Amino acid sequence: MKIRKFALLASVLAVCLLLLTLQTRGYGATARDLLALVTTPVQAGVSRAHRAAFGVWDTYRDWKNVRAENYRLRDENQQLRVEALRVGETEDENRRLRHLLALQQRLPLTTLSGEIIARDWGGWIRALTVNRGRGDHVPRLTAVISPDGLIGRIVDVRPGASIIQVLTDPASTVGAHVVRTRTPGIVEGDARGTLRFKYMARDGAGIQVGDVLVTSGQGGLFPRGIPIGRVRAVDDRGPALFYYAALEPAVDFARVDEVLLVTGDTRHDLAAHFPTGG
Amino acid sequence: MRALLALTVFGGGVAHATLAPALGIRGVTPDLPLIVVALLALRQGPEFGCVAGFAAGLLQDATGGGLIGVQALTKAVIGFAMGAAGSRLSVTQPLVQVPGLVLLTVAEGLVRFALLKVFHFPATFGDMILYVILPQALYNGFLGAALVVALTCFESLRARAS
Repeated sequence: MKIRKFALLASVLAVCLLLLTLQTRGYGATARDLLALVTTPVQAGVSRAHRAAFGVWDTYRDWKNVRAENYRLRDENQQLRVEALRVGETEDENRRLRHLLALQQRLPLTTLSGEIIARDWGGWIRALTVNRGRGDHVPRLTAVISPDGLIGRIVDVRPGASIIQVLTDPASTVGAHVVRTRTPGIVEGDARGTLRFKYMARDGAGIQVGDVLVTSGQGGLFPRGIPIGRVRAVDDRGPALFYYAALEPAVDFARVDEVLLVTGDTRHDLAAHFPTGG
Repeated sequence: MRALLALTVFGGGVAHATLAPALGIRGVTPDLPLIVVALLALRQGPEFGCVAGFAAGLLQDATGGGLIGVQALTKAVIGFAMGAAGSRLSVTQPLVQVPGLVLLTVAEGLVRFALLKVFHFPATFGDMILYVILPQALYNGFLGAALVVALTCFESLRARAS
């Protein structure tokens, strides 16, 4: 048994030495060719397995890299979106402030600029909070305007802030007239958050959809000529004493961010300073 | 026996061709066929070790492009020696496995170097031992020990399952 083991070892060694000798005597090519007959199929299999194994590995690595890159790009995209929003917001604010400043400079009034810091948009009350208060000497019932038109009036002055009653508040009433026909009346807010113009039937026969309404200046609270809105629909009540016209407000109260508080003399006609289109 | 031999040769070759480059550390790659031959020879005996070493070495020679028969000879000797010594060695101990495989790789390297010198191999002994044989020996030692631990765990799990 032991002899068999050593005989096997000796045979193997002899084959190896024979192979080596053949190669040194110039028969290497023949030996290689003979061996290639056996090893080539194995090598091909090894190579295929190698390629397959590395292919899977490479695919996995690529997939991992792509995933990591995907996460990175997603983060970058998110940051860029936020940055773009910030830039857009800043540009928007810049534009609004420029408009407000231009209005403030061209109006023959003493005004104080303010920023809206809160909104109360329930059905009962429609109010905005502006960051100007008792410290800024803001009087109660001060008119509040924007470059687009009238917003409302200050109804409550607090330390550091004031409450603006918006035109659409159910308790709000403002004297107004139609620019084209000079028809006088009262603009009222209602619980639905819309504006309506109440006028005497005999005066308003010629009111049409699209007519522009401005403040009348009567009562001395609001300067004359500030745009309030545009007629959206006319409610013809036949023999009734008063008619109503539904208005489209000149100002988008939900989006207004900067305002002007008219703190000085209000006895001016501002019609020439606002683009009414009427 | 034949199936195991084929698996040893082919499996070792595949593992060497596929895993060794991926496992390379600063240019040092493990000699996976040597580890596989040594581990199987310990269990299967000298005849198996000799034939498996010869076949695996021959495949490495053929794929490596060197002199055919050098690694076939050294690995056949290593396989035979490990198979013969298997009954006398306590190879389950890591303290035996790591130095054992290190010494085995060094021995294989020395035999290979001596054989190649007969055929006018140009590299110096110092360079070969310092930059090729010893780093590979250390790598083989640790990798072989890890393989033994993995095999032991696998076998104990299989025994528990059956």
